[in-house]
Amino acid sequence: MSDYITIAIPKGRILEESVDLFGRIGINCRELLSDSRKLIFENSAEKMRYMIVRATDVPTYVEYGSADLGIVGKDTLMEQGKDVYEPLDLKFGYCRMMVAEPANLAKNDDPSGWSHIRIATKYPHVTESYFAAKGIQVEIIKLYGSIELAPLVGLSERIVDLVSTGETMRQNGLVEVETIAEITTRLIVNRASLKTKQERISAIIQGLEQVLQSA
Amino acid sequence: MSITKPDISLPRGVSDFMPDAAAKIGYIEHKIRRVFELWGFRRVITPKLEYEDVMAIGLGDELKGKTYRFDDRQTGRLLAFPPDITPQIARIVATRLADWPLPHRISYSGRVLRQTEIQTGRSREIFQSGVELIGLDSPEADAEMIAMAIEALQGLGFENFKIDLGQVEFCRGVMAASGLSGQSLRDLHMAVARKDSSAVERIIADNDLSETSRREVLALPRLFGNRDILDTARQIASNVRSRAALDNLQNVLDILDIHGVSEFLTFDLGETRGLEYHTGITFEGFVPGLGEPVCSGGRYDNLTARYGHPAAATGFTFNVLSLLQALERRPDVEASTTRDFLLFNCKEDRREVLEVARLLRSLGYSTARDIIHREERASLEYAKRLNIRCMLVVGDETVLGNYRAVRTHDSKTKNFNSDMLMSDELKNFIQEGQGD
Repeated sequence: MSDYITIAIPKGRILEESVDLFGRIGINCRELLSDSRKLIFENSAEKMRYMIVRATDVPTYVEYGSADLGIVGKDTLMEQGKDVYEPLDLKFGYCRMMVAEPANLAKNDDPSGWSHIRIATKYPHVTESYFAAKGIQVEIIKLYGSIELAPLVGLSERIVDLVSTGETMRQNGLVEVETIAEITTRLIVNRASLKTKQERISAIIQGLEQVLQSA
Repeated sequence: MSITKPDISLPRGVSDFMPDAAAKIGYIEHKIRRVFELWGFRRVITPKLEYEDVMAIGLGDELKGKTYRFDDRQTGRLLAFPPDITPQIARIVATRLADWPLPHRISYSGRVLRQTEIQTGRSREIFQSGVELIGLDSPEADAEMIAMAIEALQGLGFENFKIDLGQVEFCRGVMAASGLSGQSLRDLHMAVARKDSSAVERIIADNDLSETSRREVLALPRLFGNRDILDTARQIASNVRSRAALDNLQNVLDILDIHGVSEFLTFDLGETRGLEYHTGITFEGFVPGLGEPVCSGGRYDNLTARYGHPAAATGFTFNVLSLLQALERRPDVEASTTRDFLLFNCKEDRREVLEVARLLRSLGYSTARDIIHREERASLEYAKRLNIRCMLVVGDETVLGNYRAVRTHDSKTKNFNSDMLMSDELKNFIQEGQGD
C-alpha cells in the first residue's frame, strides 16, 4: 500500500465538498457519495485510497500515518493539537467558535470583569487555553452535543461552541459575546508522507491551491 | 474479608520486551552499531541518573518539561532521568575529554525517559542509538552524519527512505529580518511549523513588514521538496543569515554528491522542529508506511560551551523502536528470534547427548538441552513455541548410530550420522523452507 495515497475524510457536508474539490483537480472519487456502508474505497488505476472516518478521528489517522492526507475542520485541529502539517485552507465549512450566553445575562454583563466562570463545551482544551491567556479561571463542563441546552437548564452560565448562521443560538435565547476563532476546513498531511511521497502530495497541494485561488 | 489479587500491573507507557521483541531490538541495534564502528566511532555508556540542574543546562524548554525528577536523599539535590543523551555527551566532552585531541567520534546506545501525555499510547521509554562528532565545524562533518544515517538505513534493508535536510539558520534569518516579536513571532513559528500558509498570510496582513521580508516569510511554508527548492530559496532570500545558511547547505550537498547518496535527500527550509540546541544543518529520516521519523539530528555548536568547553559539534540518533515497528516482519529480523537446536535424549545416560551439544555449539549452532523428561511430541511442541528450528533426537534405538533431526516448522525428519553433523547438509536441512 505504500505507493498509494490514502485520504481520511469525515462523512457529511465535508465529504460532498471534498469530492467536488478533488474532482476539479482530476481526482475522481464520486464513488464515496454512493449510499454504501463501506468504510474504505480504493481506486487502483489512480492509486488512491479513501477512508470514511469520524471527523474527530481524522487528525489521529493522519498523525500516525494510517492516512497520508486528511480533511478536517480547524476546530478539531485546534482542540487536539496533533503534530501534522496543515498546508491548505480549503475555505469551505466556514463558521466561528464563539463564547455565548443567555440574552438576559448578556444585558448587564461585562466580559472584561469575568474572573471565575463556568462553561459548557465540546472544546475543553481550546476553551481552557483561551481563558487562561486572559487570566480567567474557568470551570469546564465537557459535553458531546446540544451545547446550547446547558445555560437553559442551569448546567453552566455560558458556552463555547461553533456558530455558522446563528439561528440555533437565537432560537435558544443565546447571544454571542466573544469570538475565539474563525473556522474553516483544512487539508492536513502526515509528516513522513510529505517526505516519502513528496511529488504526488505536492502536486495535490499545488493543484488544490490553484483551484482555490481561482475560485 | 475477600481475598483480592495483588496489583502487579506496569505503569503506563513502559513495556516488557519479551524474547522475540528483545532479539529483534538487539539485531537492529547491532546493525546500527556496526556502521558506527566502521566509521571509527567509539561507544560510551552514560549514567541513568544526573543532577537535574546539570541536565537542564543542555535541555530546551520542551525536554525540560518532559524530564522525570526526584529528590536525592544523599545530597538533597534534585536528580533526573536523562530525557536526551546528547547533553550527557556534551558534559563528558567538557570534563573527561577536555584535554583529548579533536575530533571526538562518540557513539551511544541506550534508553531515555520522557513524560508523555496520558492516553496517547506512546512509550515513555525511548531506545536511542546515536553518534556525536565533536570538534569539527566543517560541512564534511555534517555530510558524514547524513551519509552514515543513509548507510545504516540501507544496511537495515530500507529502499524508498528519505533523509529530509534543513538548516535552522535559514528560518531564523527570515524571522529575525521580519522584525516580528512577542506573540506575533510565536504565532508565526507555529504557523510555519504546520506549513499553514493561510495563517502566515494573516500574520503578515496584521503586521508591518518590508516588501522583501514579506516575500521571505510567505515562502517559508512552501520551501520543501526536491533540490529545486534551494534555487527558489536563493531567489527569495535576501537577508544575510538565510543566504549563509543556503551556502552552507549547498556545501554539505556537494560532499553528499561525492558520497553518492543524493537520491535519498529531500529538503525542507521551513522545518523548525529540531531540538532547541540545533544551530545549523538538521535532518530527519523517514521510511514508507511509518508516520514518525526513524532518525533525527543536526549541528549544535553551542551546547558544549554551556558546560564550559566550546566546541563545534554535530550528531544524530536512531529511534530504535520506530525502526522495530517498520522492520519487525522482515525475514532477516524474524530470523534473529530463532535458535537452532533442542537436544532430546532417549537414553538414561547423558554422556552422548552432552557431547553432541558441545560439538554443535563448537560449530556455531545455538543448542539447548531439553533436560525435562517428557514425550518426544511434547518436546517438539516446546521447541516450536520457543522458535527453535530443529529438535535433534539422540539415542533412539530404531536409528542405531544415528541422530534423528525433526524440523519444527514442518515436522520433516532426516537421519544424520556424526560425520554428517559437521557437513553443510545439517545447515541446509534446518534452514530449508524458513524463508531466509
